[in-house]
Amino acid sequence: MTAAEDRKAQVFEDNDHKPVGHGRMLRKEDPRFLRGKGHYVDDVQLPGMLHLAILRSPVAHARIVNIDTTAAEAHPKVKAVVTGAALAEQGLAWMPTLSNDVQAVLATDKVRFQGQEVAFVVAEDRYAARDALELIDVEYDILDPVIDARHALDPSAPVIRDDLEGKTNNHCFDWETGDKAATDAVFAAAPVVVVQDMVYPRVHPAPMETCGAVADYERIDGKLTLWSTTQAPHAHRTLYAIVAGLPEHKIRVISPDIGGGFGGKVPIYPGYVCAIVASIVTGKPVKWMEDRSENLISTGFARDYVMRGEIAATTEGKILAIRTDVLADHGAFNAAATPVKYPAGFFGVFTGSYDIEAAFCKVTAVYTNKAPGGVAYACSIRITEAVYLVERLVNCLADELEMDPTELRIKNFIQPEQFPYTTKTGWVYDSGNYEPTMREAMRIAEYDELRVSRPRGARAAS
Amino acid sequence: MKVSVIVNGAPVAADVEDRTLLVHFLRDHLGLTGTHWGCDTSNCGTCVVWMDGEPVKSCTVLAAMAGGRDVRTVEGLEQNGVLDPVQQGFTECHGLQCGFCTPGMMMTARALLDREPNPSEGEIREAISGQICRCTGYATIVRSIQWAAAREAAAAVEDDVADAELTGASATAGSVSGEAS
Repeated sequence: MTAAEDRKAQVFEDNDHKPVGHGRMLRKEDPRFLRGKGHYVDDVQLPGMLHLAILRSPVAHARIVNIDTTAAEAHPKVKAVVTGAALAEQGLAWMPTLSNDVQAVLATDKVRFQGQEVAFVVAEDRYAARDALELIDVEYDILDPVIDARHALDPSAPVIRDDLEGKTNNHCFDWETGDKAATDAVFAAAPVVVVQDMVYPRVHPAPMETCGAVADYERIDGKLTLWSTTQAPHAHRTLYAIVAGLPEHKIRVISPDIGGGFGGKVPIYPGYVCAIVASIVTGKPVKWMEDRSENLISTGFARDYVMRGEIAATTEGKILAIRTDVLADHGAFNAAATPVKYPAGFFGVFTGSYDIEAAFCKVTAVYTNKAPGGVAYACSIRITEAVYLVERLVNCLADELEMDPTELRIKNFIQPEQFPYTTKTGWVYDSGNYEPTMREAMRIAEYDELRVSRPRGARAAS
Repeated sequence: MKVSVIVNGAPVAADVEDRTLLVHFLRDHLGLTGTHWGCDTSNCGTCVVWMDGEPVKSCTVLAAMAGGRDVRTVEGLEQNGVLDPVQQGFTECHGLQCGFCTPGMMMTARALLDREPNPSEGEIREAISGQICRCTGYATIVRSIQWAAAREAAAAVEDDVADAELTGASATAGSVSGEAS
């Protein structure tokens, strides 16, 4: 029996004797899920409920010249057609994001990414709402888009966010952490320096259930009930109160069963706000449920970091310092739903598990003509990017020094007696014992055997 | 147009638009919301139901195509208040988390076990290759289906033993129980 099989057998054999939290546990929600009796947002059916569909931009960057909704309004099943201009009259065309920026609910002046919300239709059923979208005629004056973050700050790049007063470039924010002077000094004197460029591409969390909402506004007592695919109902309620001008205690946000979120259902999407507006306008409950394409092109993403990492070390493999310069692509609006005060989230943990003398990082974020966001996956908040950066650098250093990468790691781990340990970017690690953990992982992975069957460099050569 | 279908053993009829998809017919017209709408392009498999015993992706089947046919959905898996072994397996082996892909997964699993009561891991993975789950990573789903297969094999042995005792032919039952344990 291999170590992996041995481990698997242990996991399942004595389940009932394990402490709480370490074995199999029956779940309260399973009985309804197994019987097809879950309560997801699209399962909500209210009397008289109308259906909303959103018209999205087919282009990445364009000025809106004209929107003709006459034919859509004439559709027999259509109850309302709303454009950005109509929302602007009520002061509802823009909403604040969770990252101190603003985002268009419906585009007024320009569209800034392919898939951006341009108008919505409310109709008697979901098919009719989508039919009517095809009857809306939008005239676009197409502009050059900025797709590659590496060219967003070129002087010739078109300015995406000309809605922001005085904006003359696509710069979004700068953020630094660590001690630049100390880090530069260590690098200048270091015997070994390895530099590695890394592109960590954009990914989408893609939950099985797309985003959607059912908004039910009662005109008489001014109460709003919203069933929505949200992982953060309280934050959402606060924003709806700000945007819709309703007092917070008259808004009830219900987050029922959610078909996966992975952080992608933390941001507030224009569709939710559109559903609320639609219910206020029509006086009826309104359901909005996006389709898969809409979910993939318009909702929050993760990663999209262009990173240059540098690692300084002695010839014996003692890591001295780490330095990094990051270009972050935040799309057309900075709508990152980062529940921390740092604009780059937890990227500051990029020093990893290593005891080093100095560290510094600089993150420059830019606007591009892509879907807004910046963080998805609650488990990440840029930790994934930071871990990838440091571990890739350590591997590159191991190559440079012709050392085994596990040996190099063990040599540089923070030692048990050093805890609590304050990192060079100011994080306090309360406890840890990395070497035994690493050796256990190596045992489970059968590392020594892997090294024989797949020697260093074999993968690159194959 | 009027569509008449047998759903989970009961005849139903409704007036629908010609273009109505089976998934919307089930969900919006019949209120059977256990079948989910995930991608509407036959990619994700959360909408899988049976039509005349065969799993189909109901987001790309017209309700009209189901006319006169026998449709079975996740709501029909439980029989007489007893969960299907596949349903039991999913909860025993943590084959679900958010539960959104689960109805389609279970309908496909049930069809597989009806066709092949003792599938290999490879056969299970092939059977669910048209389904996507974003929570579990599939290992526990495979284990859930294996659990159901083992449970049914054990139940079959018990039935054989009971039959054998009734007919007095206990020798046959002994050989079967050896395989299924």
